[in-house]
Amino acid sequence: MLRAEIDGLNIELEEKTSILDAAKKANINIPTLCYEDGLSIYGGCRLCVVEIEGEDLLKPACATKIEAGMKIKTHSKKVRDLRKNLFELIIATHNIDCQLNCLTCSRASNCELKDIAEDIGLSKMRLDPIKRGDSIDNSSYSIVREPEKCISCNRCIRKCEEVQGIGIFTTANRGPETVVTTFKDRGMGNVECTNCGQCILSCPTGALHELYQKDSVLDILNDESKHVVVQTAPAVRVAISESFSNQAGDISTGQLVTALKRLGFDAVFDTNFAADLTIMEEGTELINRIKSGDRLPLFTSCSPGWIKFIEHFYPEHLDNLSTAKSPQQMFGAVAKSYYAKEAGIAPDDIIVVSVMPCTAKKFESKREEMAGDVDYVLTTRELASIIKSAGIDFLNLEESEYDDLLGVSSGAADIFGTTGGVMEAALRTASELITGEELEKIEFENVRGLEGIKKTEVVIGDLKLRAAVANGLGNARKVMEMIKDGEEFDFIEFMACPGGCMGGGGQPISSDKNVLEKRQQAIYEIDNNKKMRKSHKNPYIKKLYDDYLEKPGSEIAHKLLHTKYKARKI
Amino acid sequence: MIQEKLYLKGDKLLDISNYEFKSIKNALRIGREKTIQKVKDSALKGRGGAGFPTGIKWEMAADIEGKEKFVVCNADEGEPGTFKDRYLLEERPLKVLEGIMLAAYAVGADKAYIYIRGEYSKAIEVFSEIIEAAREKNILDDNLFNSNFKLELKLVRGAGAYVCGDETSLINSIEGKRGRSRIKPPYPIEKGLFNQPTVVNNVESLCCTAEVLNPESDDFSELGIEGSRGTKLLCLSGDLNNPGLYEVEFGQITLAEIIYDLGGGINGNKDLRFVIPGGISTAVIKADDLDFPYSYQAFEKRGSSLGSGAVIAVSKKHDLLDVMLNVSRFYMDETCGTCFPCREGNRQINKILKAFKEEDRKIDTELIADIGNTIRLAARCGLGQSSLNFITSVIKNYGKELKFGGKIYA
Repeated sequence: MLRAEIDGLNIELEEKTSILDAAKKANINIPTLCYEDGLSIYGGCRLCVVEIEGEDLLKPACATKIEAGMKIKTHSKKVRDLRKNLFELIIATHNIDCQLNCLTCSRASNCELKDIAEDIGLSKMRLDPIKRGDSIDNSSYSIVREPEKCISCNRCIRKCEEVQGIGIFTTANRGPETVVTTFKDRGMGNVECTNCGQCILSCPTGALHELYQKDSVLDILNDESKHVVVQTAPAVRVAISESFSNQAGDISTGQLVTALKRLGFDAVFDTNFAADLTIMEEGTELINRIKSGDRLPLFTSCSPGWIKFIEHFYPEHLDNLSTAKSPQQMFGAVAKSYYAKEAGIAPDDIIVVSVMPCTAKKFESKREEMAGDVDYVLTTRELASIIKSAGIDFLNLEESEYDDLLGVSSGAADIFGTTGGVMEAALRTASELITGEELEKIEFENVRGLEGIKKTEVVIGDLKLRAAVANGLGNARKVMEMIKDGEEFDFIEFMACPGGCMGGGGQPISSDKNVLEKRQQAIYEIDNNKKMRKSHKNPYIKKLYDDYLEKPGSEIAHKLLHTKYKARKI
Repeated sequence: MIQEKLYLKGDKLLDISNYEFKSIKNALRIGREKTIQKVKDSALKGRGGAGFPTGIKWEMAADIEGKEKFVVCNADEGEPGTFKDRYLLEERPLKVLEGIMLAAYAVGADKAYIYIRGEYSKAIEVFSEIIEAAREKNILDDNLFNSNFKLELKLVRGAGAYVCGDETSLINSIEGKRGRSRIKPPYPIEKGLFNQPTVVNNVESLCCTAEVLNPESDDFSELGIEGSRGTKLLCLSGDLNNPGLYEVEFGQITLAEIIYDLGGGINGNKDLRFVIPGGISTAVIKADDLDFPYSYQAFEKRGSSLGSGAVIAVSKKHDLLDVMLNVSRFYMDETCGTCFPCREGNRQINKILKAFKEEDRKIDTELIADIGNTIRLAARCGLGQSSLNFITSVIKNYGKELKFGGKIYA
């Protein structure tokens, strides 16, 4: 421990604390821009510079470790004046011009730059915006890059490289031509991007955002000749209210359904229903593979970011992937076949819209292997924006229920929204199907929590199932390397995003650093409050098999609900 | 007539068979500690521009434990107006080699690199041959002069970035990474090349250490005055009648003598306006203030620095704005692009200067001052911090003459 003085406060600190962390402990806010929790220190923006007594030059608080006896001023006149000057320079490169692009910006409602301007008391802008004339990168099905807004803070670069372990972005050129770009400027759609969208969550400027489909969805809702159905992913209901309340962890399933009905969707269904269906198909596949000892470990296939990752980086393991489509795609396939038949609507007249916490789902819906299942994919953020633009007072809405047939789900489906959830849902069903006995305790605590990699052994009858759960692609890579090193597993859940779907790249951008914990608690609360908590107990799933799909793994189930993968280059 | 003091300058030293390596032999005889002590006693300061005491750097590096240690000779001479290292590399490469050996021996490094700027084709050719010859003579890669000291030396060719003259950027470049400065601490002597303790020394500094350890020039350390010991290579350029490379003893010659005697005075029919004393990252010295002895401290006292030793005389025939734009353009293009103040500040300064119109004679010097201050106080590396020194000093000294509006930089 050591003692130092910050803004006149004498405080005791652990050795090797950064000045930034020390200030936080003293309840002092130092503005930051290139700094992000969980990423390496970059020291580029210099907004967090502070004055240290006895030193002329200012020091970045993020990169400077506090020393015993240091006297630090975080908001002296010298520091404040400098931050203002510096911020003028930064803003000038962000291309705010008279087209008022603040109003159309993806971060209009939660702009980090605006918050910083307020924090440092910016009062004048003497510099004209610099127009670099960079063109927009539209090469990806999931993510759009607007380099004109980019200030080269490198957060996307570090997020992609350090958290996701991929590194599609890099800094190119020098001097005023310094830009963030992809390899050879090929564009995000032409490199190893998994479309996970974690970079969007890190970008402070709105230079990265999802490929919008909200206008297309509004148009199709106005098309009387189309029967437009919508599905909502499990993680959306525990996050969408953040866009209206700025508060994390609220459950707003009922309001979500009401809002979608008010927007004019002809039927409001639940991806959760398809999650239960996924468990039946994938669970059956798991049991069969264990029985035959074939292609183990089985890898889950719900996360399209993970799928693209393995296709690029571990194509030799594609056989380990479950052939089951993701819930989003299963839903689309079922909606356009079974539901069309039951509702007496021509499949061609049915439009399937998904609301997903995910940007990679946009890419997934366009994959040639399952094209046509889903027509449009909205992120949670896009739906919130549509709801706002329709004048719907989301937080005060009455609650409604999902429509029948494809809208009823078990608690096992709800937990698909968090890391460990698919594993737990599968274990609940697989255990009972294998042993024929009811589980005494259906919570599998060992696969819960936010750790990047969780490993456990589950005893099912006379079978010992070696399971692992990885969230975040950096962790996925670690698990793949464990397998290469000879470690043995039977079943592994992989999710591209840290925290699983609830931490997806399409979720509201939160300033609450405990947002994942809060969303996760909400998800388990939904599961806890449900009477039906196992996929195979869902009566509508039973009905679907009885009336249409025969049994899990049947020929027709395979035709509709299973898919193929392909090796991609790096 | 002013005399040069010749230690670093001299006859060509290219033939390894006739070179005696007296300094390194001396060092091997007296041992590491005494070698470092001698360099410390010489009060030698780094000749690359920052002026850090070489002996202290070596001592700290020697004391640090590491899996392995590296010595890097910084020959990325990029400061405009500087050509002393080029001379040493092309004409006296054996001295440079000996300096590298001394540093490596002193700090306990068995691997060294020399990073030569890419444009120095001849220097690269010459030094490559020297390395080859030294290998053949078992001077490199083998027990040196029957000692148990062995050194490997690799030449790395720079790729043309000014910022790689900064030691941490240079280290990144050797590692194959983008040329950008690293956050300090840790300093290279703690974690440098490949995260191992690394000493980075300028070419001239290393040649100076070879003089310090040379039994035949043991008066070298006595030369000069307190705070500025030894000799300094000067690169005279600009509006001088006799531009070129000169070697002077610290404290024994004034800047006026350097300009008017060594440099032969100002060419053309215009008078001197100012001198840029140490490359374009240093503040100007006005023509009426040249009568002081050349030393580190004399420049410091005047808010400037002797920098790399690039003394550029600028006469009144040049348009001041033109000169400022030239310098500004250089920095704008050469910032590595990592830290915001340097990247955006230099871009904006260039824009502001460019927007200046003869007819309205208005320029916002307050804005330039604010940006200049921001870069100086908050940039990430020394190159960035000093990038506005020249321009702000011109405005400070000639703002009135230029009829620039706004508040004058102070």
